[in-house]
Amino acid sequence: MSEKIIEFDNVTFIYDADDDESAVQAYPALTDVSLSINKGEFVAVLGHNGSGKSTFAKLCNAILEPTKGKVSVKGIVPDTEEKADEVRRIVGMVFQNPDNQIVATIVEDDVAFGPENLGIEPAEIRKRVDDALKCVNMYDFRHREPHKLSGGQKQRVAIAGVIAMQTECIVLDEPTAMLDPMGRDEVMQTIKRLNREMGITVVLVTHFMDEAVQADRVVVIDSGRMVMDGTPKEVFSQVEKLRSCGLDVPQSTEICHDLGIKECVLDVDECVDEIARLLGGAV
Amino acid sequence: MSYAIETVNLTHYYSKGTVQQVAAINDVNLQIEKGELVGIIGHTGSGKSTLISHFNGLLKPDSGKVLVDGVDIWKDKETLRQSRFKVGLCFQYPEYQLFEETVYRDIAFGPKNMKLSEAEIKERVLRAAEFTGVKPEHLNKSPFDLSGGEKRRVAIAGVMSMEPQVLIFDEPAAGLDPKGRKDLVELIKNYRKQTGSTVIIVSHSMEDIAGMADRIVVMNNSSVAMQGSVDEVYSRGNELRSMGLNVPEITEIFAKLRAKGIDVPANVYTVEQGEKILRSLIERRSAR
Amino acid sequence: MIRDITIGQYYPGKSVLHRLDPRMKLIITFWLIVVIFLCKSFFSLGLIALTAVVAAAISSVPPKMILKSLKPIVIILVFTAVLNILYTEGGDVYFERWGIAITEKGVNTAVFTMIRIVSLVVISSLLTYTTTPTMLTDALERILSPLKIFKIKVHTLAMMMTLALRFIPTLIEEIERIMNAQKARGADLESGGLVQRAKALVPIFIPLMVSSFRRAYELAFAMTCRCYTGGEGRTRMKQMKLGFRDFAALLFCVAVTVGVIVLNHFFEAVI
Repeated sequence: MSEKIIEFDNVTFIYDADDDESAVQAYPALTDVSLSINKGEFVAVLGHNGSGKSTFAKLCNAILEPTKGKVSVKGIVPDTEEKADEVRRIVGMVFQNPDNQIVATIVEDDVAFGPENLGIEPAEIRKRVDDALKCVNMYDFRHREPHKLSGGQKQRVAIAGVIAMQTECIVLDEPTAMLDPMGRDEVMQTIKRLNREMGITVVLVTHFMDEAVQADRVVVIDSGRMVMDGTPKEVFSQVEKLRSCGLDVPQSTEICHDLGIKECVLDVDECVDEIARLLGGAV
Repeated sequence: MSYAIETVNLTHYYSKGTVQQVAAINDVNLQIEKGELVGIIGHTGSGKSTLISHFNGLLKPDSGKVLVDGVDIWKDKETLRQSRFKVGLCFQYPEYQLFEETVYRDIAFGPKNMKLSEAEIKERVLRAAEFTGVKPEHLNKSPFDLSGGEKRRVAIAGVMSMEPQVLIFDEPAAGLDPKGRKDLVELIKNYRKQTGSTVIIVSHSMEDIAGMADRIVVMNNSSVAMQGSVDEVYSRGNELRSMGLNVPEITEIFAKLRAKGIDVPANVYTVEQGEKILRSLIERRSAR
Repeated sequence: MIRDITIGQYYPGKSVLHRLDPRMKLIITFWLIVVIFLCKSFFSLGLIALTAVVAAAISSVPPKMILKSLKPIVIILVFTAVLNILYTEGGDVYFERWGIAITEKGVNTAVFTMIRIVSLVVISSLLTYTTTPTMLTDALERILSPLKIFKIKVHTLAMMMTLALRFIPTLIEEIERIMNAQKARGADLESGGLVQRAKALVPIFIPLMVSSFRRAYELAFAMTCRCYTGGEGRTRMKQMKLGFRDFAALLFCVAVTVGVIVLNHFFEAVI
């Protein structure tokens, strides 16, 4: 059995006015969620806005503490500041708005920020920063000022900042929501490379179906509850159920489903093959 | 009859007068008919945002003209002021412009600037709130207490309440989930059906515009690269892709089916449309 | 485009001045400013002015840019010169009419003061031309770090400065965006009296505050996630090391100081 990295054990999270200034009254954002994420997995967490998926992300690295239940990372329960810090050395995080997570005025200084906080030797930081920037294809931009970069580039700098900390797992909270198609593509390519080539566990919180299909496993959250958990094929074959959660399926999946093709297809090429087969069979 | 908006050799430069001077939009000639729903697409930096900022005089052309209803908006100060009310512009993430104590007052900000009577303002606020689905019980709440999606609706109502002849949306669906996107498309369609106003939607996503626009203008490299009916533009998928635009998945599927020698049209852009075509094809083949 | 703004007036280059340790640059700049005020004769001041000219020459910063940094002080220069000419008396009288006397001493003092101010501005702007704001902040943090024993939170202050530098461009962009959105709703920001204009800023100011707080909140999260717990136990990627170059610069500085003192001693003082 593969090693578990993040475990949610009957986790309930109730927002109160202290956590969220826009909350008028307490409301549950997550209710009784149990799941574990294995080392090396690429998990997409799907849900519409306000479904609780962002809360899920923030529980993963101890920004929020569960109201009930237990979240542990490699067996560590972050109930003290020190343990929370330990957890954050294992699970890194990338947020939606690229502007609000870059702290330095020069790209390479920003990537160095995390390792510096960990108290790593200067020479080692230099090496990690260079490697991380090369990994996200931003090495040529290392001396630039972040505010002059595009959204996709800023987001890749943010990812490099996590890679340089050498965390085992990276949680991305809607990293592409504010990007244009080109930026989204750049970021998705980078995320996949992290998982496939560097073996980093990836938890991608998103509402884009075409991003979720690229994961190994899809978890769907609706009104704070986990309603589906499976491979992309298992999840996306349940078109009606997804729609009832305010979600959608990729157009390839949708048209094949509507045409009565039993096989669940996830991408354009599969879809074209299935339709061709259907038409061929009808001749 | 004059056009709702017309640009004549419209040119605007960045960093004008310096060595880095570059054209943000270059010699754009565009006519938008009254009552039309036009989609303007282009990738980031193609000049589409600069273009629409000229439509209500937020930016001044470096050369060329912008005519609203046949009148040059830079003719005099009053014409320019009026153009702001004739052409409503709803920016990307409009919820970040909310500032009033109550939702009602925020929606009333535009009409108040138009110096309308209290009664008229009230009527307009209620009408705009209804169009956008802002709940009546929210009108006396602070806009900052609403959810993200509700804030977006309030902000859109704040532009609609000016009842402009032309309403421009810049990336109206940015950051919304699939259901939010669908609701928004319905909202815009409804608004247009009931008011008959001209609507312009700016986006880098073809999927939002497909099935809604009468005409599409494609911006690339600071100028108009293509314009025409949705069918005409979508049938040039490869060119669109080379401009960094993504074509709806369904259009791509049909392009690949054609490449396989299956006789399907190239201008399919919604799943319903595609399904209909394929169903009839299957029926025809099995009848044979 | 507004996103092209650069904070400060850093002029990228590879000159000796650019490559000096920012700490040394900061110290030398302050040192030279003190020495400027020690100058008493034209000869000692001339030595400083020569130093400034030489430094400017090797800085690879175009002379035009250095002259530009003098532009804001032209009025001050003229003003002090006129005052000095009119109110300092002594020596030969060049001109006397309508109760005004222009004397040798007055002219000398005026010229002296002008050279002094110009040298001061050139030397300090060379510091900002050849050092990025970030490097300056870093250098300041390191120079002031001994103050920790007096419970002064040097690191926190430096971090605040860095974040301010980082977010100024972002906030300027944001202000522009909000202004456009409100103008599109017919907000009139340009006309009216003072009160009316101040009122017109409310629709800009409130969204700006709301969004700044949101940014601050998210930034705090992001920094926590990256294990930031304050200055304790932090290391720095970029080490500042004093090299041969820096000591040479310091030596040069000492030489100039000695020169100034000697010249002060041997030549007649102007003031």
